[in-house]
Amino acid sequence: MDRNRRRQLLALPYVAWSILFTLIPLFVILRYAMVDKEGHFTVSYIFAFLSSVNAKAFLISLEIAVICTVICVLLAYPLVMVVRRLKISRMSFMLFFLIMPMWMNFILRMLALQMILSSNGILNMLLGFLGFPPLQIANTNTAVIIGVVYDYLPFMMLPIFNTISDIGEDVLEAARDLGAGPFTVFRRVILPMSLPGLKSGITIVFVPSMTSFVIADILGGGKIQLIGNIIEQEFTRSSNWNLGSGLSVSLMLFMLISMTFTIKDEILTKRPAEEISEEEKAEPRVVGDGVSRRTVL
Amino acid sequence: MAEENIIELRNVTKRFEDDGSIAVKDMNLAVRRGEFVTFLGPSGCGKTTTLRMIAGFDTPTSGSILLNGRDITALPPNKRPINTVFQRYALFPHLNIYDNIAFGLKLKKLPEDEIREKVTRVLEMVDMAGFEKRNTQTLSGGQQQRVAIARAIVNEPEVLLLDEPLGALDLKLRMGMQRELMRIKKEVNITFIYVTHDQGEALTMSDRIIVMNKGIIQQEGDPVSIYDEPQNAFVADFIGESNIIDGIMLKDCLVRIQGIDVECVDTGFEPNEKVDVVIRPEDLVVTELGAGFTDGLVTEVTYEGAYYDIRVQAADYEWHLQSNVSAMPGTRVGISILPENIQIMHKPRSSDEEILKKD
Repeated sequence: MDRNRRRQLLALPYVAWSILFTLIPLFVILRYAMVDKEGHFTVSYIFAFLSSVNAKAFLISLEIAVICTVICVLLAYPLVMVVRRLKISRMSFMLFFLIMPMWMNFILRMLALQMILSSNGILNMLLGFLGFPPLQIANTNTAVIIGVVYDYLPFMMLPIFNTISDIGEDVLEAARDLGAGPFTVFRRVILPMSLPGLKSGITIVFVPSMTSFVIADILGGGKIQLIGNIIEQEFTRSSNWNLGSGLSVSLMLFMLISMTFTIKDEILTKRPAEEISEEEKAEPRVVGDGVSRRTVL
Repeated sequence: MAEENIIELRNVTKRFEDDGSIAVKDMNLAVRRGEFVTFLGPSGCGKTTTLRMIAGFDTPTSGSILLNGRDITALPPNKRPINTVFQRYALFPHLNIYDNIAFGLKLKKLPEDEIREKVTRVLEMVDMAGFEKRNTQTLSGGQQQRVAIARAIVNEPEVLLLDEPLGALDLKLRMGMQRELMRIKKEVNITFIYVTHDQGEALTMSDRIIVMNKGIIQQEGDPVSIYDEPQNAFVADFIGESNIIDGIMLKDCLVRIQGIDVECVDTGFEPNEKVDVVIRPEDLVVTELGAGFTDGLVTEVTYEGAYYDIRVQAADYEWHLQSNVSAMPGTRVGISILPENIQIMHKPRSSDEEILKKD
C-alpha cells in the first residue's frame, strides 16, 4: 500500500503540468465564455454558434471532418492489410516511409501542398502536359480535405496497424477453416478485432480535423471559413475573446458528446468481462499452460 | 477400396518458396473413413505441413490431395468440409464462447434455433455446458482447447485435423484430454488426423501411426507394430527409448554385437551384413556376472518410480536398462536378453533414412 502510494508520487510532475497548462486555461476560457465585456454573466456567447454565419462554419467543419475521417479509414485499412503481410524488414521500411512526412515541419508541408494544388501549380502542369484540362482545387473544400487527410493519415493508420498486427495468423486461418472467404474474414474477424485501433484512429483524426484552422487558412486561401478559423479570428483580429471563448466551449461540448459514443461503447463491452473475472476468482482455475492471456478490450 | 479412403495423398511434395527447402517429399498416403491417424515425428519432419496441405492452408508444389476420390488440391480451406483444431486454440477473442462455436454454423446460414441446439449439444459433449456467455480470455488453457474442439466438430466435418492440440497443456491435463478426445472421437465418428511429436500420445490414441522424418514416411502401422517392430533405427529411436548398436549378422538367427555372438530370431539378411541392433531398455535384464550375453560396470542408477533406470558400461557401449530390480553403482553385473526381444535392422541405405543421433 505504502509503496503504491509512493509510486503515485511519480505522477506529480504531470499533474502539476496539466493543472498549470490545461486546467487553469480551461477555467479561464470558461469564465470568458460566460461573461460579457462588462463582466456580467451571460450565456449568449455559448449559444453564439446558432447564428447563421457560425452555424454554417460549424456544419462545414463537421462535414469536412467526417469526410476526412472516412477517407482516412478507407485508405488506412487496405494499406494496413498489405503492410501486415510484408516481411519484417520491408514492413519497417514501409512504416518509416509512412511516418516520414511527420518529421517535416507542418507549415512547410502545407505550403508544399499549396504549391502542388494551386491553379498553375505542379498538379495542373502535369495534367496539362498529359493533355487534361486543369483542375480548380486550390481554395476549395477539396484542397482542405486533401490537406487534412495528408496530415492525419498516419494517425489513423498506426493504431489500426497496431491492433491488426496483433491478430494471430492462426485466428485468421481458423476463420477460413470454418468457412469464411477473404471478405468474411475481414468483416467478421479483422474489422471487429481492430475496433479499438479504429476508435482511437477516429478520435485522433476527427477531433483535430474538426478544430483545425491552419490548413483551411493555407489551402483554403482564406475563403473557407471553418469554425476554427472563426474562433481564431475572434481572438486575433476582432479581439472579442468572449465570443471566441464561447464558441470554443460549445465546440468542446460538441466534441465531448460525439466522443462519448465511442467511450460509452467501451464501457458496455467492459462490464460483462469484469463480472466474469469476479466469478472466475471463486473457481480454482487450471493454469500453467504458459499461454499469455491478453485482454483485448 | 477407393471409396473407403476419405483422404488420399498422391505423390505430394511441398517445397517452400522462400528457402527452397523440401518439407514433404513425394508422399503417398490413404486415410480410411473413421480412422484415427497420427502423424508422428520430430519438429521439422513435415507432419504439420502435411496437415496444412490437407486443411488447404498450404498448397502442394506437386502431387494431388483427394477427398472422397475428388481432387481438392486447388480448393481453398473455406470450401473444404474439413475443420482444424489449432495448437494455440486460435479462438476469436472478440466473440464469446457461444459465438465462437456458432461461427461456422452462422456462415452456413443455418436457422438460429438449430444453431443454438447444436452449440448446446457440442458444449455438453466437451463438458463445457453453461459457458456460452463466457469470454475466451477468462478460460484456462484446457477449457480453451475444449472450446476449440467444439468449434471444429460442431460443423460435422468429414475430417477433423488436430495440430498438436495438447502441446500447450501441462502433463496431467494432457492425459485427461487424451482420454476425452478418444471418447469424443467415438461419439462423433469423424475421421481424425492428428499431429504430434509426443510418441506416448500417438501410441495411446491412434488406430494408425505414420512416423515421419525429413519429409518422408519412415513407417506406418498400428501402435503395437510401430513399437514392437520398428522398421529402421530412426523409428526405433524415436518411438520409446532404445539401445541402438552396430552389429554383424553372421547368419540367420545369430548376430555379433561387440564381438559377442548373440542368438536372435531374425532371418533374411545377407551373411555378414552390417546391421543396426535395436534393444528396448525394458527388455534387458540384470543378471549375475557371466550369466548374460555380456558383463559390464554399473555406472548410474536412477529411481524413476515405476522402475530403475540403469546404465551399464560394457566395452565401448553404455547399455540402457529399465528394471524393477536395482543394482549397485560401481559393481559389475551381467546383462541378458531373450532372443525374440532383439530387433535387427538393415543399415540405412540413403541419407533420407539417416538415424536421428541423440546427443
